[in-house]
Amino acid sequence: MNNIILAEKIDVGYEKKVVVEKINLCGMKGQLICLLGPNGAGKSTILRTLSGLLAPVSGAVYINGHNLKSIKKKELAKKLAVVLTEQVSLGLLTVSEIAAMGRYPHTNMIGKLSQDDKDIANDALRAVNAAHLKDRYYAELSDGEKQKVMIARALIQQPEMIILDEPTSHLDIKHKVEVISILHRLCLEKGITVILSLHDIDLAIKGCETILLVQGGKITAQGTPEEIIKVGTIQKLYDIEGAQYNELLGSLEFSSPKSPEIFLFGGNGTGSCIFRALSRAGFGMYCGVLHSNDIDNHIGKALGCKIIEEEAFKNISEATFHQAREIMKTVDYIIDTGFPVGSINARNVDLIIEAIKINKIVISLIPRECAESRYGEWAKGIRYCTRASEVSKLIREHKQERRGTHNEDLQPSDRRQII
Amino acid sequence: MDRGRQKLNKHLFLLVLLAILALMVFLLNVSAGSVNIPLRNVVEVLLGHGNAKNTYQSIIMNIRLPRALATLVGGACLAVSGLLLQIFFRNPIVEPYVLGISSGASLFVGMVVLGGYSFSLAYVTPMFMFIGAFLGAMAVMLVVVLASYKVKNITTLLIIGLMAGFICSAMTSMLTAFADKEKIHSYMMWTLGSFSGFSWTQVKYLYIIGIPFLIMALLICKPLNAMLFGEKYAISMGLNIRRYRMLVILISSVLTAVITAFAGPISFVGLAVPHMVRIFFGTSDNRILIPGVILAGAFMAGICDLGARMLMAPTELPLSAITSLLGAPIVVYLLLRKGEEI
Repeated sequence: MNNIILAEKIDVGYEKKVVVEKINLCGMKGQLICLLGPNGAGKSTILRTLSGLLAPVSGAVYINGHNLKSIKKKELAKKLAVVLTEQVSLGLLTVSEIAAMGRYPHTNMIGKLSQDDKDIANDALRAVNAAHLKDRYYAELSDGEKQKVMIARALIQQPEMIILDEPTSHLDIKHKVEVISILHRLCLEKGITVILSLHDIDLAIKGCETILLVQGGKITAQGTPEEIIKVGTIQKLYDIEGAQYNELLGSLEFSSPKSPEIFLFGGNGTGSCIFRALSRAGFGMYCGVLHSNDIDNHIGKALGCKIIEEEAFKNISEATFHQAREIMKTVDYIIDTGFPVGSINARNVDLIIEAIKINKIVISLIPRECAESRYGEWAKGIRYCTRASEVSKLIREHKQERRGTHNEDLQPSDRRQII
Repeated sequence: MDRGRQKLNKHLFLLVLLAILALMVFLLNVSAGSVNIPLRNVVEVLLGHGNAKNTYQSIIMNIRLPRALATLVGGACLAVSGLLLQIFFRNPIVEPYVLGISSGASLFVGMVVLGGYSFSLAYVTPMFMFIGAFLGAMAVMLVVVLASYKVKNITTLLIIGLMAGFICSAMTSMLTAFADKEKIHSYMMWTLGSFSGFSWTQVKYLYIIGIPFLIMALLICKPLNAMLFGEKYAISMGLNIRRYRMLVILISSVLTAVITAFAGPISFVGLAVPHMVRIFFGTSDNRILIPGVILAGAFMAGICDLGARMLMAPTELPLSAITSLLGAPIVVYLLLRKGEEI
């Protein structure tokens, strides 16, 4: 059996109070397992139980087939190391001194290091890209560097398994990625089993082999990221309001709750920046005709745009064309993002010309010359912008003009709503 | 690796320097006083040969030597006790005095000294004093430790210690209301803290009890290092936290008790010395800190006792006054200069 850690139907919690129930977990050699869930779901409690710092309320955790309870602390320390969220007050210790203390379970009574111990410590510091920090005081390090040193300290115990509680919180994106890639490397190269908890959905989906979703006192799903991350999972897991999480893209978008007053023609990613800019500025949008495989389609949906959709790789059908035209009539502003035109979406150009014909305000982000070759005669009826911010400014000014100048104070209140 | 070796050499050099300084203050303490004895004669008497005057011989052997010896180990005990408590509570402002351990010891010593007759004791032996101080120190420490199982917040724990100290002080003052004037005076003198009038018997007790516990502190330097990481990390490194918790409490209580019993509650040495050593040595590694703190404690107590005796001679000043006056500015200065977190 190469189960390093095995937990069958354990309930974890404090004293008699169960925080998360019926956890099944099996960690193989070299596996990277991630607990994902909102704050307060009990991730830390699970990790504490798995690392033997907390006794399970019922059931038992097995390490290499032995009950965790029956393993001597000192022997356990050679099999399992932890990285916790606790602040440590190690101000006047250097990185190499801290590393040396990681040899604790292996050294004699006064903690004397053999040459082997020193080599192991140096190797571990190198493995976490922290060899250059050796002589620095811990207090002088950045959060990211501190975290790397604490991982090195765990590694120096030469464990078969490392358990980390929120190792990426407080870190910038560079260190987040670095920490996860270090852990990855430890799994692959040294065959260490890593169990960690994460907040970052992206990192979990893209960096871990196995994910356990922890929510409402239960493990709600368990498996590879591909198996468990379906549309809506994360939305439900974190109960996010005011934003949409797109599992396919792994990105979070703030959704615009407003009713649409703009019809936007996008495609092939040309729409994304403008979607975001207009959504931030507080406008609701329709977006037309987008194929179901288009990136703009996904981002638009995440932002809460209403999309007029066509099946992937199909020409825009007559029905879709009509639907788009009818919706277009209900808004005042039409935006051409400068999407590339091919045979399957050529009818979008017709729709824009249609809009000019019925005197809608059409704003285009392509240069005038290109517009002329695309729309011919009709290019004269278009207003031109070069940036997304100009578009929202233009629309806002136009709206104000129509309302009349005495309503100037409307704009700040508009803005407040947006914020 | 070179940097590591350099650092070790620096530490060894500082340790030797501290040892020499402690020895010098020790000799100075034997030599200086209302009768100044030349250092040469001091060394002769201490080495047990030469033909020093009889008066010198008797002053040294009966008064100065026991006192200086008590100062050496007394300072070391207080300083190490402070260091252990600072590690245990992971708080830089803890010391036996602050935590109420000294107050506990004072109360129980008060019960022995002031209430001696009511407990039908004919006279107060050093052993009774010690047992009283020890029980007092342990009682307060136990309250704090029992609370520490319930309360995880260190500040709350400190406040509990402080409150226990206040209760002890209050009970002590109630005791004084019922005691003889004469006894109250001697008890009040004791509470001011002083190494004066140490008898050889007292020195013997101090050494027999103090030194083994100082050695025990040296022996648990590795677990203490693990405790720097906090309890959870310490457990994960294979430390039997319960055992070492008890051991740390036992050692620091005994060390506080033994010195408080004979010299009274002495403030500040336990707080200031560990900080000074940490900053001078630039490390939190207890394998270096504990020997450093022992030597620096002996040195500091020696200097303070010298000051207490000599500054306003022939009047002797209370020792605690000197330790605070000297220690507080040094700690503040070092902190400001280094600008380091401790």
